[in-house]
Amino acid sequence: MASLAATFGRGAMTNGWTDIRNADVVLAMGGNPAENHPVGFRFVMEAKRNRNATLVCVDPRFNRTAAVADRFVQIRAGTDIAFLGGLINYALTHNRFHQEYVRLFTNAPLLVSERYAFDSARGVFSGWDAERRAYTDISSWTYDIGPDGYARTDPTLQHPRSVFQVMRQFYARYTPEEVSRICGCSADDFVKVADVITSTYTPDRAGTIMYALGWTHHSHSVQLIHAAAMLQLLLGNIGRPGGGLNALRGHANIQGGTDCGMAYHNLPGYIPVPKVGDETLNAFVTAATPRALRPNSTNFWSNTDRFVVSQLKAFYGAAATRQNEFGYRLHPRLPQSDGGAYENWSWAYIFDAMHDGGLEGFFSFGMNPVSNGPNSRKAIAGLSKLKWLVVAENFEQETAAFWRDDILSLVDLTPEDVQTEVFMLPAANFAEKDGSFVNSARWIQWKWKAVDPPGDAKPDQEIVARIFLKVRELYEQEGGTFPDPIRGLNWWYSNPTSPSLEEVSREINGWALEDVRDASGAVVVGRGRQLSRFLDTRADGSTLSGNWLYIGMFTDQGNLAQRRSTADPSGLGRYPEWTFSWPANRRILYNRCSADGDGRPWDATRVGIAWNGERWVGDTPDYTVDSAPGADLGAFIMLPEGVARLFVPGQFADGPWSEHYEPVESPVANPLHPEHSSNPAVRPFGSPFDTLGTAEEYPIVCTTYRLTEHFHYWTKNNPYAVQLQPEFFVEIPEELAREKGIANGDQVRVTSARGSIEGKAMVTRRIKPMQIDGRQVYQIGFPIHWGFLGRGAQRGSLANLVTPTVVDPNSFAPEYKGFLVRLEKV
Amino acid sequence: MTEQGHGRIVRYTFRERAVHLAAALSYVYLLLTGLAFWTPAMYWLAIVLGGGYLSRVLHPWVGIVFSVAVALMYAMWRRDMRTTDADRAWRRSIVHYIRNEDAKVPPAGRFNFGQKQLFWIMVGGAVALLLSGIVMWLVASVPRELRGLRYAAVVVHAVAALLTSAGFIVHLYMGLLVVPGGLSAILHGEVSERWARHHHPLWLEEKPTVTIKDVGSRT
Amino acid sequence: MSLELLRISASGSPAPGVRSVPAVTKLVDTTTCIGCKACEVACQEWNDLPPEPTTQTGTYQTLPDLTANFWNLITFNEHDDSGTLRWLMRKDQCMHCSEPGCLIACPAPGAIVQYANGIVDFQQDHCIGCGYCVTGCPFDVPKFNPRTRRVYKCTLCVDRVSVGLQPACVKACPTSCLQFGTKEAMLEIANRRVEQLKASGFARAAVYDPPGVGGTGVVTVLAFADQPELYGLPRDPTVPMAVSFWKGPLKWIGNLAMLGGLAVAAIHYVRFGRKEDPDQIPNPKDQIPNSTTRL
Repeated sequence: MASLAATFGRGAMTNGWTDIRNADVVLAMGGNPAENHPVGFRFVMEAKRNRNATLVCVDPRFNRTAAVADRFVQIRAGTDIAFLGGLINYALTHNRFHQEYVRLFTNAPLLVSERYAFDSARGVFSGWDAERRAYTDISSWTYDIGPDGYARTDPTLQHPRSVFQVMRQFYARYTPEEVSRICGCSADDFVKVADVITSTYTPDRAGTIMYALGWTHHSHSVQLIHAAAMLQLLLGNIGRPGGGLNALRGHANIQGGTDCGMAYHNLPGYIPVPKVGDETLNAFVTAATPRALRPNSTNFWSNTDRFVVSQLKAFYGAAATRQNEFGYRLHPRLPQSDGGAYENWSWAYIFDAMHDGGLEGFFSFGMNPVSNGPNSRKAIAGLSKLKWLVVAENFEQETAAFWRDDILSLVDLTPEDVQTEVFMLPAANFAEKDGSFVNSARWIQWKWKAVDPPGDAKPDQEIVARIFLKVRELYEQEGGTFPDPIRGLNWWYSNPTSPSLEEVSREINGWALEDVRDASGAVVVGRGRQLSRFLDTRADGSTLSGNWLYIGMFTDQGNLAQRRSTADPSGLGRYPEWTFSWPANRRILYNRCSADGDGRPWDATRVGIAWNGERWVGDTPDYTVDSAPGADLGAFIMLPEGVARLFVPGQFADGPWSEHYEPVESPVANPLHPEHSSNPAVRPFGSPFDTLGTAEEYPIVCTTYRLTEHFHYWTKNNPYAVQLQPEFFVEIPEELAREKGIANGDQVRVTSARGSIEGKAMVTRRIKPMQIDGRQVYQIGFPIHWGFLGRGAQRGSLANLVTPTVVDPNSFAPEYKGFLVRLEKV
Repeated sequence: MTEQGHGRIVRYTFRERAVHLAAALSYVYLLLTGLAFWTPAMYWLAIVLGGGYLSRVLHPWVGIVFSVAVALMYAMWRRDMRTTDADRAWRRSIVHYIRNEDAKVPPAGRFNFGQKQLFWIMVGGAVALLLSGIVMWLVASVPRELRGLRYAAVVVHAVAALLTSAGFIVHLYMGLLVVPGGLSAILHGEVSERWARHHHPLWLEEKPTVTIKDVGSRT
Repeated sequence: MSLELLRISASGSPAPGVRSVPAVTKLVDTTTCIGCKACEVACQEWNDLPPEPTTQTGTYQTLPDLTANFWNLITFNEHDDSGTLRWLMRKDQCMHCSEPGCLIACPAPGAIVQYANGIVDFQQDHCIGCGYCVTGCPFDVPKFNPRTRRVYKCTLCVDRVSVGLQPACVKACPTSCLQFGTKEAMLEIANRRVEQLKASGFARAAVYDPPGVGGTGVVTVLAFADQPELYGLPRDPTVPMAVSFWKGPLKWIGNLAMLGGLAVAAIHYVRFGRKEDPDQIPNPKDQIPNSTTRL
C-alpha cells in the first residue's frame, strides 16, 4: 500500500472486484487469485466468458490461476521487477503506450532534478554513500523545481530530463533477452505475453493487474508494485473501468485495518503519527501537509488540518480544547532512537526488539506470530523474554502455547527456562459478532452476528474496552508517567464495557459539534448532524470525525455500510448503493482518467465519468464535480503534482523508481550489477537467528504460499478444511526429485540457514527447472498452513521456521517469497 | 446277497447323505433368493425368506456352505463319476431311459450317466458361481481398472446359475417324482437289492463299496 | 408436490408419473473450474456427511476416488498438451444418466428411482446392498458403505431441487463453472462456451453428454473432448454390455428356459409317469397275490 499511495495518492485497490469483469486483459502476477481469492475470481471468469478476455498468469509455479489462464509464464521467485521492467521497455520501444493518457495524467512531462543520477554499472541511485553503505542524501530524487515553486514540465515529453525520457533510458536495459537471463523464462515466451499485456494501450481496450502477497513479500516489494503501476500508467489503464492495479488483500478486513491506523506510523485516515519534534499542532500539520507542485493541482491533503483536528476531537472529546491544541498536547509522539532516526515499530522490528529484551509485554489479537511472522525461531526466542503475553484468539494456537516443550525445543529451551506469563483470552470469531469488513475494493460492508460466541468468548471491542477501563482506573488511582492520553480519551459509549459498533461507526464517520457554516455563513451541517462530505470538517474544533476517509459511511440516512441494493445504473457492475465505498462512495479511484482531455470517455462502452458540459456524471467523480475538464486540477487529487508518479520524488527509501534487485538470498549475483545484487537500502537484523545462506550451501530457490483449502493457521481447527488438505507438503519439480531420488509422497526435509521443516513430497511438472544467467536453477515451494496445534497431522511443520527476517525498507514486509534452501529425502 | 433279493444295501453313507443334504438345502436357498434377485417377478421369494436385505446378506454365506458341500461331494464321488464304456452305451439309449423303458437301458454303475452329468454340471457350476460370486460380493473392492471382472462376474453367475438350476430341476423331478425309491435312498441311505439291481446292476456286481445287510424276508 | 417418477428399479409395473416435467441438468465447465473444492464441502455440509479421513499422497486431490460419504470430488490431472502444461480439474460425481446403468442393474424394487426431471436417486431404505449398481454404472460412481451395507451417491440435491433451489455445489461455486437449470438451457450455455473455446484455440473442445447412456443430467464442457480419459471420463460410455445382456436377453432366455424345463418335466410326467419300482415288481419266486400290475 506504501507503493500505491506514493504513486497514485491512495493505498488501495484502484478499481474493485466487480469491475474486473470489464477487463480485456487480466494479468495475474504476484498473486494467485484463483487460489486465494476464489470468490472474487468469478469476475475474471465473467470477463473471460462475456468479453473473451485474456488471462495471463506469471508466477514461479503453475498454480490454480495458471490452470484457467490463457497464457502462463514461469519466472523465478523474486524477479518480478525484471519482468515488469521488460514490459515497460517493450511498451516504450514498440510504441505500445497510451501517449495522450501519459501526457495528461502522469508526471512524464515533468522534469527530473539535474542532480538525479543512476549508476547502472553499480546499481545505485545518486545519494549513495559507499562507505556507510546507505542512501544518506536522497534530495536528488526530485523534480526540477522552477522559481515559482512548481515543477518544470515539457508537454512534448522530448526534454532529455523529462521523466518520460529518463524512464525510457532507464528501462532500455530490460530487453527480452535480459528478462530471460534474470527471470528464467524464454525471451520468446516473454515477447508473446508482452504483446498480449501491452495490447491494452489503445483507448478501446482496458487491462487490469491483480496482485497480492506474491508481490508484497519481497525485500523490494514496494518498488515491485510501483513497476506495475508504471506499466499500467503507460498503458492508460488506471482510473478506467476494466483497468486498474488491483491489490487483493489477504484478509477480510486488512484494508479496513490499514485505513484505520493499523500500521505503526499512521493514524486512521493515513494521517502520519506525530513525531518527537512536531511540538505544536501547527508544526505537525505543516509538516504533514504537502505543497502543490503544479499551479492548479487540487492537492487534497491541503485539508490535513481539518482532518487532524476532527480526529483529535474524536480521540479526546471534551478534553480536546483550543487551549491544549484540541488535545494535540495529550497525544503521544513517535520517539527517536539513539541514532536519531524515528523508532520503527513494524512487525520485524517489534520482534527484533523483543528478542533483544526490549519489551516487557505483548498483546496478540487475532495474530499468531510464532506461525505467521518470518523466522519462527526468532519469534519464539523473543516471546520467551517477555514478562507477560496476552493472546486473544478463537483457538489455542502456537503463540499462546509457545511455552510448550516441543515448541521451545526449537530454540533449545525448556518450559522451566521461560518466565513469561501467558494470558489466553477467548475471543469471538467473525461470525460471532457484528461489525464491518472493508474489502479490497474499499467497500465498507456491514455484517451481522450469525451465532453467539461460545462460552466466555467476548467480541474484541469488549476485550479492548475492559482492558482500557481497568488501565484508566489504575492510572487514576496510581498516576503514571503520562496518564493524559488515557485519562482524556473520549469514551462516550452508552455501554462503556462493550461499546456498540454502531456508535463506533457513527464516531468514525463523525458529526458536527457546532453548526458548520460555509464561507457565506450559511449552515451546511447543523449541530449534532452526521457529516456527509469531507469538506464539512473544520479545523476549529466544530466537527468530530474518527477517520475522515470514511466520511459518508454513516450519515443522517443511517449506516450506509448496510446497504444491499444491486441496482447498477452503469451496467458495468458498480452497484453504487451496495454498502459504501470510501472515498465518497467512489467505485473506481482516479476515474478522471477514464475520460480524455475534453472529458469524453476513452471508451464509450465503458464510461467511468463523463463531462456533460456542466458537471461530471457517472461514478462519483474523483475530481471536483463541477470543474470543467480544462481546469487542469489534476486527475490524482491526493498528490501535490495532480498527476500520477512514474518517477517518485522522495517517497521511497530505495530509489525514485524500480530497479531489479535480487532477493537477499539468491542463487545468482544480480546480472545487471553484481556489486549491489540485492536491494542496497535493506537493513539486515543482527540477532543470532538472522543468518543468511549462500548459494553454494543452499542452492535451491524456495517460496511459500497459501492454499484455497485453508485460511492461514486458523482452519487447521476445521475438520472439513483439514480433510481437504490434511498435511504439510513440498512441491518439487520432477527433475529435482529424480536427482534426489524422491518419489511422490516421500518424506522430505527442507533446510535453510534459519531452520528446517519436514513434510510430504509432491513431485510435479508444475514447477520446471530454469536457466538463470546460464546456470540451471531449481525452485521448490510449500504452503504455510500447519504447525503444532489443530486437527490432523500437525507435526510442527511451521513454514516460517525457514524464512528470513529480511524486510522491505519501505513497507517492512518480510521476504517470504524467494529465499534459499537445500532439500533432502528423509 | 440273499436269494430273494430282499436284502438292504447301503447306497449312501451317513457322510454322503449329510453332505448331499447340505448341498441340497443350501442350493434351494440360493436358488430361491437368486431368483428373487434375478427378476422382480420373483422378488416375493426374498420377502418370504425374510426380506431382500436379509436374503442379500445370507446369499453369499449360504453360497460358501454350498461350495464347501460341493467340494466334499467332489472329494467323495469324483472317482465314481468317471465316464465308462457302460455310460457311453447308456447315453446312446437315453431315449429308452426317458421313456421309462428301463429294460432296454444298458446297465449302469453306482451312478448312471445322467447322474454323472448332473454331478459335473454342479461341480463346474459351483466353481463358476463361487468365483463370480466372490467378485460380486466384494464388488466395491474391485478397482475400476478391473471392472471387466465385474461384468464377467454377473454374466458368469447368471449363466452358471441357469445351468445348475436346469440340472437341479431335472434332478429334483427325477428324484422326487420319477424314480421311486430315489428320495428314500438319499434320505435313509439304503436301497433294496432289487432296486440296486434294477437301477445300478453294474454297481451291484462290482460292489466293492457295497455293504449288504441281510434283513430277512419282507413278508 | 412430490417428484414425479419416471422409472423404478426392479419394478414390473410402469412408473406412476404423468406430469410433464422438464429435465434438469447441472453444467460443469471444466475450463473455468479453479479446483477450489467449495463444492466438495458444500455437498458434505448440505447432506450432513462427516469429513473423511485423508492423507497427503502427493496430489491436490482430496481423495483418490468418491466414497460413500464423499459424493463430489474434484479430480486434478496434469497433462502435457504438446509442450504446454495443463492442469485439468473436473468434478466427479453421479452423472444422472437418462439410461441409468445402476437402475437397470438394480434387483431391489424401488431402491433406485429416476424422477421425471431426470434425477437418479438411491432410496437406501429399499436398497439391499447387493452392489449390482456398482457394476451397472459406466462411471464407477456408486459407493458401498461397509457399515450400513448400502450404496450412496450424489442425489443432485433432489431435496433442494424439489423445492426450487439449486444443488448445494452449484450454490457454492464461486466461478459459476457450475450452473443448474433445464437441460436445454444448460446445453445452450455449454455450446456457447465451446464455440468460444474453439475460437480461442481449443479446437477439440466439446460438450460431454454421452449418447451411449441417453445423455446425462450432468453435462461437462471439456477443452480436450477427444480425450475424455485425461479427465478420468470414459470415452463413449454405455450401460455395460454385460449388464444389458444380463438384464435383457439373458433374463428372458433364462426365464423361458426355466419355465420350459418345468413344462417338459410336467409333460414327461403326464406322458411317461414314474419309473417302475423294482421293490414293487413281484418276484417270480415270491409272487404276491394282491400286487397290482402296472400298465
